[in-house]
Amino acid sequence: MSADELTCAAGTAAVLCLADSRFPGGGHAHSGGLEEAVARGLVTDVPTLASFLRARLRTVGALAAAVAAVAATAARTGRERDWWRELDVEVDARTPSPAQRETSRAQGRGMARAGRLAWPSPVLDDLLAAIPRPHHPVALGALAGIGGAPPRHAALAAAYLSVSGPASACVRLLGLDPFRVNAVVADLSALIGRISATAAGTCDRPPAELPAPSAPALDLFAETHDRTHRLEVRLFAG
Amino acid sequence: MKAVARLVVERDGTGRSVVRDLRSVSPLTLMPCPAARHDEDPDTALVHVVGSAAAPLGGDVLELAVEVGPGAALTLRVIGATLVLPGQRPGPSHTSVTFDVAEGGRLEYLTEPTIVAAGARHHASLRADLAPDARLRLREVVVLGRSGEQPGRFRGDTLVRRDGTTLLCQHLDLGDPDLDVSPAHLAGHHVIATDLLVGEPDPAEPAVGEWWSLVPLAHGGSLATALADDTVTAYRLLDTATAARPGLPLRRSRRPPDRAREVQPSVVAVAANVRA
Repeated sequence: MSADELTCAAGTAAVLCLADSRFPGGGHAHSGGLEEAVARGLVTDVPTLASFLRARLRTVGALAAAVAAVAATAARTGRERDWWRELDVEVDARTPSPAQRETSRAQGRGMARAGRLAWPSPVLDDLLAAIPRPHHPVALGALAGIGGAPPRHAALAAAYLSVSGPASACVRLLGLDPFRVNAVVADLSALIGRISATAAGTCDRPPAELPAPSAPALDLFAETHDRTHRLEVRLFAG
Repeated sequence: MKAVARLVVERDGTGRSVVRDLRSVSPLTLMPCPAARHDEDPDTALVHVVGSAAAPLGGDVLELAVEVGPGAALTLRVIGATLVLPGQRPGPSHTSVTFDVAEGGRLEYLTEPTIVAAGARHHASLRADLAPDARLRLREVVVLGRSGEQPGRFRGDTLVRRDGTTLLCQHLDLGDPDLDVSPAHLAGHHVIATDLLVGEPDPAEPAVGEWWSLVPLAHGGSLATALADDTVTAYRLLDTATAARPGLPLRRSRRPPDRAREVQPSVVAVAANVRA
């Protein structure tokens, strides 16, 4: 095995670790808007869950994949702190909901904290010096890149995580058959692959040129959930 | 059809905002309204955008570039609903609107609903570049299909930058069956209404109702959004959302909420007549 192949294999292992639900980044606390959709009676069974996840993947997932891909590229090639700040502002501009911004930063911070010990790197120190609470796909992409993963794999992890978390939340919220829920996620594999390939294709663009897919209902759910979460007990933080 | 329209508004020595340059091309007909003939602030220039031909149709490219000079104020009001139809030519229709608002300038862009008819493919882009203390208000409503109609496709890009910082960048993809019905996207609604306000005091906290929200953006500005099944409800929810803004918003719609807003099908008929 050549040195390049070894790095690539190590990077793939790092991405598996980052996308693992047991990664201690705090992702388990978030349902990605699913808890609110369930509370409203909009997601009630496997078909409505599949419809929710597909649109989430095509919007939030596609944005996360594109951001993770540029962050991975930046971590591999080295970027100034100003570049990380610019990326941060552009992700903000694509996340109009304050509750979603907060959730993303809480998850990014959690991921960075776990990742700092797992893949110590001056690149990560520099990123966190510029942005102490990075958005989730920024932290994810940077850690994947530091671990040696190509941008496409960072994007793959981001796209996958945009649906795997809500899917497992649904098992807990609605008591759906975990085997059927798992099959729904597996059925999204081709779309996850296409979205990460597209994201990899824009991995060296300036942050201002990132795609900006919006999901109006998810934006609304995030705010309603945030308010309800403060007033009553909810299972998930977001 | 390709049309490029242009409008420049400046503040004159007496403090009035005047139209300095106007290039109006059918179907984007720009009609300045003399201060004596409207009941708005007399120092604000009022210009109506009148669709003077059936547009946009497939293959059309329509561009409108607007500049608001230092200290000048412009209200740009689109008259009548816009019905987006497929055309004889292949390919989607495009509209591109650009706003450049200088220091102390103010621009209100108040549109009537854009209705995406069956078979249409439309791409609307709006870009606003603002000076640090410029003020902007954008109100937009998109309706998926006429009454009982399967909608065409609508892609909307909105980019608002102030002093080089991106405040809002959003791509909205409508008329895709997978997305329209999904509880994560439109949740089966047919109308989406948004109202963006930049340069006025922003709400400290978001305000939400079941299908509306008012949120402060991360780097300034606030965005109200409503999802509804009809335009009457959409405007009502949007008015509820914008009323949650601190202080007085620039101005609410001049019309009472229940008049001339029933787009399905009365305004469509009017719009079709105007463009015949």
